[in-house]
Amino acid sequence: MAIIEVKKLSKNFKVKVKEKGLKNSLKAIIKPKYKIVRAVKNISFEVEKGEMIAFIGPNGAGKSTTIKMLTGILYPNNGSIKVLGIDPQKERKKLAYEIGTVFGQKEQLWTHLTPYDNFKFFGAIYDIPESRVEKKIEELKMLFELDDFINTPVRNLSLGQRIRCEIVASLIHEPKILFLDEPTIGLDPVVKENIRTLIKRMNKEYKTTVFLTSHDVSDIEKLCKRVIIINNGQVVLDDTMENLKYHYLNKKIVDAKMKERVNLDDEDGITILKDKGYNLKIEVDIQKRSVADALKLLNPDNIIDINISNVPLEDIISDIYKKEGKE
Amino acid sequence: MLMVVKNQLKISWLSIKYALIREMLNKTTFLTNIIFMVLNNASFIVQWIILYSLKDNVGGYTFKQVLLLWGIASGTYGVAHFFFKKAFSLSDTINTGKLDSYLVQPKNVLISAITTDIDTSALGDMIYAYITLFIYGVTLPNFLLFTFFCIIGGIFLTSISIILSSLSFWFSKSDIIADTGNGLMTNFATYPDGIFKGIVKILLFTLIPVGIVNYIPVRVMVSFNLGSFLIVIMATIFIVILAFLVFYKGLKKYSSSNLMMAKI
Amino acid sequence: MRKYLFIYKSEIMSELQYVFNILIGFIGYVIILFIFLNLWKYIYNDPNELINGYNMNQMIWYVIITEILWSSLGGRKLCRKICDDVRGGNIAYNINKPYSYIGYSLFSHLGSATIRGILYIILGMILGFIFLGSFPNLNILSILAVLLSGILATIISTLLIIFIGLLAFIIEDSNPFYWLYSKAMLVLGTIFPIEYFPKVMQTILKYSPIYVVSYGPAKLFVEFSWPNFITIIFWQLIYILIAYGLCAILYKKGVKNLNVNGG
Repeated sequence: MAIIEVKKLSKNFKVKVKEKGLKNSLKAIIKPKYKIVRAVKNISFEVEKGEMIAFIGPNGAGKSTTIKMLTGILYPNNGSIKVLGIDPQKERKKLAYEIGTVFGQKEQLWTHLTPYDNFKFFGAIYDIPESRVEKKIEELKMLFELDDFINTPVRNLSLGQRIRCEIVASLIHEPKILFLDEPTIGLDPVVKENIRTLIKRMNKEYKTTVFLTSHDVSDIEKLCKRVIIINNGQVVLDDTMENLKYHYLNKKIVDAKMKERVNLDDEDGITILKDKGYNLKIEVDIQKRSVADALKLLNPDNIIDINISNVPLEDIISDIYKKEGKE
Repeated sequence: MLMVVKNQLKISWLSIKYALIREMLNKTTFLTNIIFMVLNNASFIVQWIILYSLKDNVGGYTFKQVLLLWGIASGTYGVAHFFFKKAFSLSDTINTGKLDSYLVQPKNVLISAITTDIDTSALGDMIYAYITLFIYGVTLPNFLLFTFFCIIGGIFLTSISIILSSLSFWFSKSDIIADTGNGLMTNFATYPDGIFKGIVKILLFTLIPVGIVNYIPVRVMVSFNLGSFLIVIMATIFIVILAFLVFYKGLKKYSSSNLMMAKI
Repeated sequence: MRKYLFIYKSEIMSELQYVFNILIGFIGYVIILFIFLNLWKYIYNDPNELINGYNMNQMIWYVIITEILWSSLGGRKLCRKICDDVRGGNIAYNINKPYSYIGYSLFSHLGSATIRGILYIILGMILGFIFLGSFPNLNILSILAVLLSGILATIISTLLIIFIGLLAFIIEDSNPFYWLYSKAMLVLGTIFPIEYFPKVMQTILKYSPIYVVSYGPAKLFVEFSWPNFITIIFWQLIYILIAYGLCAILYKKGVKNLNVNGG
């Protein structure tokens, strides 16, 4: 059964147009000009229970707008949403008990209190009896490795530690779905990796459905089995991670260091990316030509070192963005 | 239903408590803020001493009654700004998308949003209010009435600010309207209504309801009148309901921080 | 001197962008004056009655002028800026610049005060005429004289506030001192002329800054006399010297300590 059902969802914003110059500013006071920005256009998708789903797209694509409609923050202009069978706009409070949210850039914790006190505060928000809160904190403390700083005021914590606490705070009431909006924004790679591991562990442990937005592709590559790509307010792609890779990973990059200079030109299925004489980088379209075939052109005896790799996911996604933009 | 109210109050109480703890982390600043506010209010006594040296009755008020008017004014202001500080910057909360965090909680958005912070100097206002009551002459019924009027007036002022700030859901620049409206209420609050005549006087009991918050309570305290007392209560209930209605009507138009992003 | 005029001019230009905010501030000004109009109408049984030497119209004009002086000053922002400059170490950058920090602060602040001053004078005059129906008895020459004393008053106020801001060299936060200053100005210098206070206080007030920054220009406007003008201008010039001297001494001492501490 689908845990999130979105049908033909749309959201428009009325935005005041600001023009330059004193004259226009004065005009705008009397008669402001507006334009309609269609942030989300007629999108539909479903999410199954226990899934870890990535919702990605460039800045301004409509990711946050969608997540805010799913959590009951924004009212849609059109379409219907059912989260756990609940209409987020009609029964906001009822839904709030069932979901957890972490908005990467917004802090919900009191900075002068310790994480422990903060968690108890969140326990009170969700009307959880004292004894159960304490048990839950203990459990999550282990899972998210908070032992070292659970009694340090939040303002003295590092950004990574804070995000971990933010996530724990949103799990105190055992939500069925966790919405993570850009959870790793502003973190360094090591901390990012650590957060990802913890999220994965949490999903395994509690079977919590995770709905994740991010513009960091490695977040998604490492966490999610399914991807929804959104651009200009529309769903561009809704597929499994595997399919995405399979369909868009039909190209290999061959990076070779040669003993002798080779003269190679673009041929059917082969594109020269870089040619510095002894160092060569070519892209092979494996639907048209096999890698082995390409290697023959290089004369295997001459190769000192070789590296064959997939096209990075980032490039694939930006490719998809571009294609959609043209259409 | 009762459980819901109880849980809501618990959250508001915890928020205020935590905010107070934070303010008290720096004891010197905390105390200076309060003391300065008491002095601030007290400095205006000079003005009234001079005015009453010219005339022993200003606008139908004796000197002590003007002090009581000051007491009610700073008491209501103190209650409003101490417990509901964020109601007075609600426009900003709406315009910058800060309502999000309250919208994902299973609590009343409006109440959570306005009880999330306190204004320390408002404690000074409340202290000053009781100082004036002591000068005026304190009795038990007096004390209870005064406290009641300060609380109910504080709620009234808060409601006005919520209504005006909620206009931000429709027009983003309306924070100026809210500031002006709140300023109006405080400017008139400390002057006897007897000095105003005609339309202004009507306005002071309707559109700029200083009369409900300040003038009637002083009259009721000087000589009790059940009718006037009930008018204050009814008016407060009315404005509180109106505040909730306007806020929730506007909430459907809430655009989070998306508008700001669109501007960039 | 030319560079200070340039600073003054560019500050005027930048302040013009905020005209809308100044206009919003008008609402508060109008309400305060409206309340005082009603208050004095109530206190005076007969508009021609003299209380402490003033008739009703003079009392209301007095408040109009002192409120113009106070509103166009915008002292809180200036004090906060100076205080932040001192605490944030911004002042250290100014040591090597080819102008004096005090001169710079004075002229740039006067630039923004000019715009506010012009707008508030226009508003105040219109409001006074609507409320009272007439102007005090002044000719072109005496109007210019009042204007001159108003300008000197603003210069003194600005210097005094710069001095208060510079107190941050000695104490951590000088804003509370500004707060005290503004309260004293409001209660003792804006609402009533000096003659309204008890005899002992009158003597003190006559030698205090209130006499030169608030009472002086307002008194000249409501009841002009050349001897009075000369006395007031004389004291204003003395006060400019004193206030500038105080700022210079404090600045010099402060910067010296700054160097010793390594900034």
